Amino acid sequence: MAILSLQNISFSYDKTPVLKDISYDFEKGKLYCIVGKSGAGKTTLLSLLSGLTTPSSGTILYDDKDVAKIDKYTFRSKYIGVVFQSYNLITKYTALENVILAMDVAGYKTDNKKQKALELLKSVGLDEDETDRRILKLSGGQQQRVAIARALSYDPDIILADEPTGNLDRETQSEIMAIFRSLAKQGKCVILVSHSPDVAAMCDECYKLTKLTKKS
Amino acid sequence: MYIIKNALRCISRSKGRNILIGIISLVIAVSACIGLSIRQAAESAKQSILEGMSVTATITYDRQSAMSNIGGGKGNGGFDRNQLEAIMGGASSLTLEEYQLYATADSVSDFYYTMTAYFNGSDGFEPVNISEALDDNGGTLNGGLVGGYSDETARIKGGLANMMSAGDFKIIGYSSESAMVDFISGVSLITDGVVFAEQTDENVCIISEELAIFNNLSVGDSITITNPNIDTEAYELTVCGIYSSTETNNIPSSMFGAGEDPANRIYMSAAALQKIIDASVTAANEDTETESADAITATLSATYVFADTDAYYAFEEEARALGLGDTYTITSADITSFENGMTPLNTLSTMAGWFLIVILIIGAVILVVLNIFNVRERKYEVGVLTAMGMKKWKVAGQFMCEVLVVTMIAIVIGAGIGAVSSVPVTNALLENQVSSQQSESNRIENNFGRGGMMNGSIPSGENESGLGIKENNKFGNMVSGAANYITEVNSAMNLTVVLQMIGIGLLLTLIASVASVLFIMRYDPLKILANRD
Ligand SMILES: Nc1ncnc2c1ncn2[C@@H]1O[C@H](COP(=O)(O)OP(=O)(O)O)[C@@H](O)[C@H]1O
Ligand SMILES: [Mg+2]
Repeated sequence: MAILSLQNISFSYDKTPVLKDISYDFEKGKLYCIVGKSGAGKTTLLSLLSGLTTPSSGTILYDDKDVAKIDKYTFRSKYIGVVFQSYNLITKYTALENVILAMDVAGYKTDNKKQKALELLKSVGLDEDETDRRILKLSGGQQQRVAIARALSYDPDIILADEPTGNLDRETQSEIMAIFRSLAKQGKCVILVSHSPDVAAMCDECYKLTKLTKKS
Repeated sequence: MYIIKNALRCISRSKGRNILIGIISLVIAVSACIGLSIRQAAESAKQSILEGMSVTATITYDRQSAMSNIGGGKGNGGFDRNQLEAIMGGASSLTLEEYQLYATADSVSDFYYTMTAYFNGSDGFEPVNISEALDDNGGTLNGGLVGGYSDETARIKGGLANMMSAGDFKIIGYSSESAMVDFISGVSLITDGVVFAEQTDENVCIISEELAIFNNLSVGDSITITNPNIDTEAYELTVCGIYSSTETNNIPSSMFGAGEDPANRIYMSAAALQKIIDASVTAANEDTETESADAITATLSATYVFADTDAYYAFEEEARALGLGDTYTITSADITSFENGMTPLNTLSTMAGWFLIVILIIGAVILVVLNIFNVRERKYEVGVLTAMGMKKWKVAGQFMCEVLVVTMIAIVIGAGIGAVSSVPVTNALLENQVSSQQSESNRIENNFGRGGMMNGSIPSGENESGLGIKENNKFGNMVSGAANYITEVNSAMNLTVVLQMIGIGLLLTLIASVASVLFIMRYDPLKILANRD
């Protein structure tokens, strides 16, 4: 059964249509990939999935419930973990503080948040001495790992990642992909967005977005 | 609450900006603190004086208003002379019954009166310093020059006509001991014998030491006084006490008659004096050779005592309801003197009020602008937090919390600086204000040609009957100079000021935050984050 399902979704910015009549299903335990050229509407689709915006028409179902009827803040803070294309971390906070902040915002209950955050950061490959560093003093790859740790911190069912490998070298890229693959194995629904066929090849299922040409 | 934790973290991570906001808040806080302290000092000075002050008032006849009433009332125009004469004469003074009627008002806590009558001496009992015979002008002159000072005012204004027949001795009858203000204040004290019993109608009296020595009298001796108009009409009084007085003789008796020399005052009970006067009136009516105008008349001065100023202010309405006419005004030397003394501090307090308003407006504008800059600069942070699912009101709350913490720290430091500096600053400003007030009133007095007199020779009784500050230890050293201005405060900061400061801090935080809250509510995380990509 699909945890997240798009039903006849269309979306346009003002009068520019970007997505038209899209119906995708996403299940738990699978690694999905949405591919498409630059400007095809991948980030837009991700914004719809993460509840940052609402479709012009069609419905999104989360666990068979209409997302439009779920409080968008609750949806974003608890049910979905997003790794943004530009990470969107609080730059004046440390890596650890960013992860703990996400747990606080989600109202996530655990005995020791710091402990859990440190474990998470370690599991995504961040060194111990890097956890107390401010975001600005971390490299792109390290920031990417912090963003992933943050998305996982409150145990959401769905992980969304926008171009998670876009700015990374090959070696880091495959390390990050390994993390996503293991998350899917643990039962999460992982949805990646990428323009890279390499990434697509490593995923369980692929959806291809094509850029809408202007209607004549 | 993670919001507070985040707020504190954000403050510590942007020290520069927060120090700037802090310094601006500190300047506002110190200025506000001093402004508030000045206002508080004025208020507590007022309260302190009022606390220790019982207000006394007299009802005086407003001749001007009475005359304008006649002028206005007549259709044909011009004054009705008869009516005018009636006003100028005894008709203007209230009777004892009327005074007593107004004393029944709820606001009055005590009521007493004095009666003053003039008598001549007899062989073997003569006034001190009888250097010149008294002429009929004595009373008028006296009325013209002494009028305006001390509690004599009421008597003189009230019964100018009655003053025409002056004598060698001024006999003052007191209705109660509280009326004997000189003995209460210590200006006068009994050195031998005892004071007459309150409300006694026996002919006992107390005389001054000078008079006793001059006539070789001691306690238990009798003296004989006579009606100044009919020298055969004599009354015998027994001396029950001798008093000494530190009151200085401002008025040379050679000019105004022996009766005005304090040494020639004889004090007795009002009831006893009333009995003598009644006897005199009866005698004058029975005796066909004398006119009734030759009988001894007394002028009445009634004083109402109020527990506090509120009661005093309530009295006016109550007295009017009891039938006090428009041509009478209720005046209180205590209140006038108190209000005069408060003038510099009140002026300063008003200026401090305006200063406070200006400071708060400027402060609020600066803080609003800084906050707008702040929130615009942190737009991305707002976008991230809301994209993560943090509710906008929580983000706004965190931002408000940051401003609040910085403002409150500034207010605590500002209150500290204010506590140290407010008293010297208030006193320096007050000194400035008092001297400008004094030079202003001196200038006016000089314009009227009274400069020398006002500054030099206010009767000493004025200080005692005036503000009542001397009894009040706390403000004992606050009075200086002839005008009784309050020139010093010794505490300005108190809990009220601290609470007001906290209130101002909250208010400024709120005003400053409104702008940022509006911005946060308007922000759409998708747009913010999309622009970054
Ligand atoms: N905020 C926006 N307002 C208007 N048009 C937008 C906005 N964001 C994206 N677009 C347009 O929508 C289309 C899809 O953009 P996007 O989803 O970012 O593509 P992708 O992520 O696949 O590169 C593009 O043509 C882009 O110009
Ligand atoms: Mg994109």
